[in-house]
Amino acid sequence: MPRLPPSLFWQARQALSPLAAPLLRVCRDLPSTANELRWMREHIAVTPSLIPPKLRLWQFAERRARGEPLQYVLGTQPFGDLEIKCRPGVLIPRPETEAYTIELGRILLSSHTNNPKTKLITILDLCTGTGCIALQLFRQLQASATLLRVQGIDISPHAVSLARTNLSHNLNLNNLLVPRPPTEEANQSQTIRFTQADIFSPSFLTTQQQQQQQQQQQNQDQVDLDLLVSNPPYISQPGFARDTARSVRNHEPRLALVPELRGGSDDATQFNKGVLPEDIFYARLLDIAKTLRPKRVLLEVASMEQGSRVVDMLTQDDDTAKLYPHVEIWRDCPHAEFQRQTIGDREIRIRGSGEGRSVYLCRADM
Amino acid sequence: MLAAPWVCRSCVRSLGRAGVPQLWRKASTAASPTGAPPALIARARKIAAEHDQLVTSLETDFDPQMAKRVGEISRVATALKEFQKANASLSELYSLTQSDDAEMREMALDDLESTKAEMEELGRNLSLALTPKHPFADMPCLLEIRPGPGGTEGRHFGATLFHMYQAYCVSKGYRTRVVKYETSDSDGQKGAEGEPPLTEAVIEVQEPGAYAAFRGEAGMHRVQRVPATEKQGRTHTSAVAVWVLPSFPENNPEIEADFEDPENDFYIDPTEVRTETMRARGAGGQHVNKTESAIRLTHIPTGTTVSMQDSRSQSSNRVYAWRVLRSRIAAQRREAREEIARNLKNSVLNQSQITRGDKIRTYNYQQDRCTDHRSGLDVHNLPNVLEGGEMLSKIIDSIQAWLTEKDIQNLVAEEEAEALESSRKKGK
Repeated sequence: MPRLPPSLFWQARQALSPLAAPLLRVCRDLPSTANELRWMREHIAVTPSLIPPKLRLWQFAERRARGEPLQYVLGTQPFGDLEIKCRPGVLIPRPETEAYTIELGRILLSSHTNNPKTKLITILDLCTGTGCIALQLFRQLQASATLLRVQGIDISPHAVSLARTNLSHNLNLNNLLVPRPPTEEANQSQTIRFTQADIFSPSFLTTQQQQQQQQQQQNQDQVDLDLLVSNPPYISQPGFARDTARSVRNHEPRLALVPELRGGSDDATQFNKGVLPEDIFYARLLDIAKTLRPKRVLLEVASMEQGSRVVDMLTQDDDTAKLYPHVEIWRDCPHAEFQRQTIGDREIRIRGSGEGRSVYLCRADM
Repeated sequence: MLAAPWVCRSCVRSLGRAGVPQLWRKASTAASPTGAPPALIARARKIAAEHDQLVTSLETDFDPQMAKRVGEISRVATALKEFQKANASLSELYSLTQSDDAEMREMALDDLESTKAEMEELGRNLSLALTPKHPFADMPCLLEIRPGPGGTEGRHFGATLFHMYQAYCVSKGYRTRVVKYETSDSDGQKGAEGEPPLTEAVIEVQEPGAYAAFRGEAGMHRVQRVPATEKQGRTHTSAVAVWVLPSFPENNPEIEADFEDPENDFYIDPTEVRTETMRARGAGGQHVNKTESAIRLTHIPTGTTVSMQDSRSQSSNRVYAWRVLRSRIAAQRREAREEIARNLKNSVLNQSQITRGDKIRTYNYQQDRCTDHRSGLDVHNLPNVLEGGEMLSKIIDSIQAWLTEKDIQNLVAEEEAEALESSRKKGK
């Protein structure tokens, strides 16, 4: 990090506030320091507390100056139409995630309105963390889908309890309509739930399949998952030490950032065949996709290179390659037009602008 | 004898002068009240004929576009009918005044006065019906306040204007939302009443029809006062620009669908807009945790840029930035279109067309006065104006009336020019 000139600190103290100078160490420039101070003040103004406001502001600035992420200091982060609570131990939702989630919601919504015969929409969000993706998709589809099932799964009990808190928090804020519980009329229910599970455990797939079969029996027709979405840990060991920002490295959970297998050497050899250590989650996620056959899959990746590695993995397995002929890589802002590119012997489409951010797969019949 | 024991000579002399110096404006900016000029009536006849024709054709087969047009021009047709009725009775009365019966003559003369007054009224109605409704009149609006060059003083006054409009909207019961409120960081000086130096503010007045209500506010607002920063007590003059742009209702699927329609003023081709996020290049996603949510949109063909950083969420910043960009582009397009129309029609210079250079109003603190230069209205009790009180609404009403008069005048001039053109063609 380049050294900041002392005059900048002086300026911050003079123009903004005496609290701005320590904040400048983490914000690095005056406009963003001014913004963060303003957000802190706004937060203090809307949240009542026994602590006097000036003291609270000082406390916030102190914590932030020590490198703690602003989202942990204020306890929230806006995400799409929602306000997501953030707590130490659970990854903070990123704006890139927000961008592709909103785009995904739009795609699901338009495909739902285009063929209204498919009443049920089921979404599985793996490594859900704060539950932001699941909640935002639920929010976007709530108005038009009469049958909506969203499930979020995370290995961390902290994350699962925070995701549930976020559900009730946004219900209280009226950002979400109250989900309709399953009643006698099976075609009128909207559910969202968060459960704790290890997606690497062998029992995970069988329980998911059982659930799916149960649903099929209830509805008497073929119900595949509509969407499998995941923001798994994807940073490599050296990358964690080298590329991550200090506030991320020191304050956010390593579990959510760097893929590590805790199941012992068996799992490691099983999934490590020709797969880089930072890609092991994708190998597993593609396995899950192969079994559950979701209509669409979206996996967040770190960069274009990792994205093409995931596409390679997909092409190596004939079954999944046939299942998902339609492959896209989305960049940070997935709103813009397509470009075409070939990876291996496969032509894929690249959408948007910015760094490669996610791999989007779509089944042929969609 | 004189009541006063002594009067100075110059005063005595001044008493003998022909008149008292005039303390009011000699020229009036109001359009002369006429019933309805012949050019207008000719135009109304044309429109009424079209109306009748459309109505008869609508009876046989229904066409939604035709029905829409009928709805638009029916106002003119009815106004013309009433006008003609009054006109007929007026000529009848005139013929009666020529009658031999003295009693009859008297009665006719009595009625003549009231009928003439009625004619005036109906003529005004007719001209009002003929003046095209402003295309954005029903829309909510964005009020942009930007201090002109001239340092801190203008910025302080910008903050005052911001509060004035907010208070005015509160007193009128309009719903507002502050889209943007940016104060200057570099100079921390506060104004006389502790107002911060404003660099830019945008208020959205969410009331439908707010654009029509605030249309007259656009232009340069001049302030004359002794600034808080002035040590020697000199009066400074600075200016703040206020722009009024049409906004569009948030949850209106009808208008939102129209964004896709290239004919719409609000349409912007997404490929023509460059989006810049102020995030650092390089690794993103889980690697970094920047709170920087600012976004800047640049409309490449016009070079219009909008930057937004108020919310912590980038996506909501993006939504608001798009909205402001759409409004600005729509206003520019409309201005350009009007410019072209003006040149084509070769009509009189439209003075109500406000370009940003004209000063429209002066706030003078020393004289406790607020003057609007277009309607020529002088209002005292400046604090009440700045609180958005009755005095401000008086000024705004006067501007509204003035704008309507101007619209009518322009219409008449336009009609006359057209008539001249056609007669010249016939002559050839």
